[in-house]
Amino acid sequence: MQNLIEIKEVSKEFKILNRREGLIGSVKDLFSRNYKIVKAVDNISISIAPGEIVGYLGPNGAGKSTTIKMMTGVLEPTSGEILVNGNVPYKNRSKNAQEIGVVFGQRSQLWWSLPLIESFRLLKDIYQIDDSEYENVIKLYKSLVDIEPLLHKPVRQMSLGQRTLSDILAAFLHNPKIVFLDEPTIGLDVSMKNKIRILIQALNHEKNTTVILTTHDMGDVDALCKRIVIIDKGKMLYDNDIEHLKGFFGSYRTLKLRLGENETQQTDVNLENALAKHFTEYEAISVSSDDEWTSILINEEKIKLMDVMKAVQDNYFIRDMKLEEISTEEVIRKIYEEGV
Amino acid sequence: MKKKGINFYLHIYFKILAQDIKSKMSYRADFIISTIGMIFTNIAGFVSFWILFRNFPSINGWSYYEMMFLYGFSLISITPVQCLFDNNWNLRMYVYSGDFIKYCFRPINLFFYYQSEIFDIKGLGQLAFGLATMVYAWTKIGLACTPLIILKTIIFLITASLIMIAVMNAAAATCFWITNSFFVMDLALKFRDYAKYPITIFSPVFRFIFTFIIPVAFIAYYPSLVILRPDNIPVLSWISPAFGCLFFWLSYKLWMHGATKYSGTGS
Repeated sequence: MQNLIEIKEVSKEFKILNRREGLIGSVKDLFSRNYKIVKAVDNISISIAPGEIVGYLGPNGAGKSTTIKMMTGVLEPTSGEILVNGNVPYKNRSKNAQEIGVVFGQRSQLWWSLPLIESFRLLKDIYQIDDSEYENVIKLYKSLVDIEPLLHKPVRQMSLGQRTLSDILAAFLHNPKIVFLDEPTIGLDVSMKNKIRILIQALNHEKNTTVILTTHDMGDVDALCKRIVIIDKGKMLYDNDIEHLKGFFGSYRTLKLRLGENETQQTDVNLENALAKHFTEYEAISVSSDDEWTSILINEEKIKLMDVMKAVQDNYFIRDMKLEEISTEEVIRKIYEEGV
Repeated sequence: MKKKGINFYLHIYFKILAQDIKSKMSYRADFIISTIGMIFTNIAGFVSFWILFRNFPSINGWSYYEMMFLYGFSLISITPVQCLFDNNWNLRMYVYSGDFIKYCFRPINLFFYYQSEIFDIKGLGQLAFGLATMVYAWTKIGLACTPLIILKTIIFLITASLIMIAVMNAAAATCFWITNSFFVMDLALKFRDYAKYPITIFSPVFRFIFTFIIPVAFIAYYPSLVILRPDNIPVLSWISPAFGCLFFWLSYKLWMHGATKYSGTGS
């Protein structure tokens, strides 16, 4: 299949003045030519097929926004090549804009004082959407979410959740091939997050729109993305299926226990020592505890979980227990910290 | 993608305008208070002008009514910049906070899209006041009312407006480089006040500055010479329409260059 987005060995450098401290430093800076080059994005290559939902992840300052800005044509890459739907975005910004939709979680792009329906009508004219196509989209929206109460409300009077919802609907209005969602669920409550995820999923399904999603919320990733791309410090760390990623760490599980009736602060240390004596490959186990639970992270390739359970039960009274699969969040944290 | 010509842009503009006025009318108190404010600002401006001329019946060969004509002319010519390009005042805020990026994703001209967002209805009061002043001065001076002279007046009013717009565009665009363009814009606005006076009252140095560096003399003085002193028109007056277009085009290019260079803040 023809790829919709093709990013080849793209880098973006920024020239930043080395600032000095204090007032005198600031005055000196006025005349300084002491620049340093910062690589915000360093040699990244990604291809994305039509209809994919790709989670684009990375810690703050990793270069996510810079990449998105290059794909939307706001920034020109320092080197490398980007093709979005066959266009070079920064050379033909308006043509590219016709084919994409963009949502920034905290910055509404709708007309602040207009009711949503008027914003939609303006967008219809700006994007030159046919009447029939427009009717179809509105019909689709009505079947997916309860937009009636939103349509006649000025955007500035909406809650953050309603605004985000409206922004997403507006971004899909002109049937774009690609929609960029930058932290769409930031600051929303659980039920609104869920609504938005269902909406994104449904729109992607109905229109086969490619969605590029940046987020810090692993719930979004788990709910929406089959594929994730992780970058940090401008470099690409990972680009593959989410399942594959879990496979890396899949042999780990966490056994959570509530021990004894009069447990002491030292429980986890004692337990770790006890288990270390019991198992030869004790490095496959690590114990930690918080106020409520004592957690034992077990590499099941080396040690069987049931053996650990039995060893603990021989020495301690177990009040309660639960078992946790490793979450995507933990996997990603491990990658941020240690690399693949 | 269909071609987007002038019709397309006019259509979009009037649609946004209609919506904008509709929503402004819904804040009735705000609308009334700002209209009253506008009326008082104009009256205060006129009173100070009037007091000045009570004491000096003519300035450097310019009579009371000629000065009044100049005053009305400058009021009309600043109406377009006030009504249509008022969003320039917010530009520095959008650029500073990074919100400017939201204008970059639409398939229409960025400058147009940005400026179309706000229509300042208060400017219309100024227009009415300026028109009244100019017509009054016109009859008092006893100017003829031929179609040719009216055509000239309209052309030179457009010229003056273009220059005013160019000055404010360029001043606002500085924020793409220096972040806070308020002082530059404020300075440009202060200079605009000099537009009301005949440039001959200034020293040669300032005459040069107001003609070529900050072209405020083109806002009222050079264009109105064509109507007021038809016997003795300097070349600069005749070429001022060309200057108007040139300055506007340059300021547009500067604005767009800044906007393209703009990379936004992190999010």
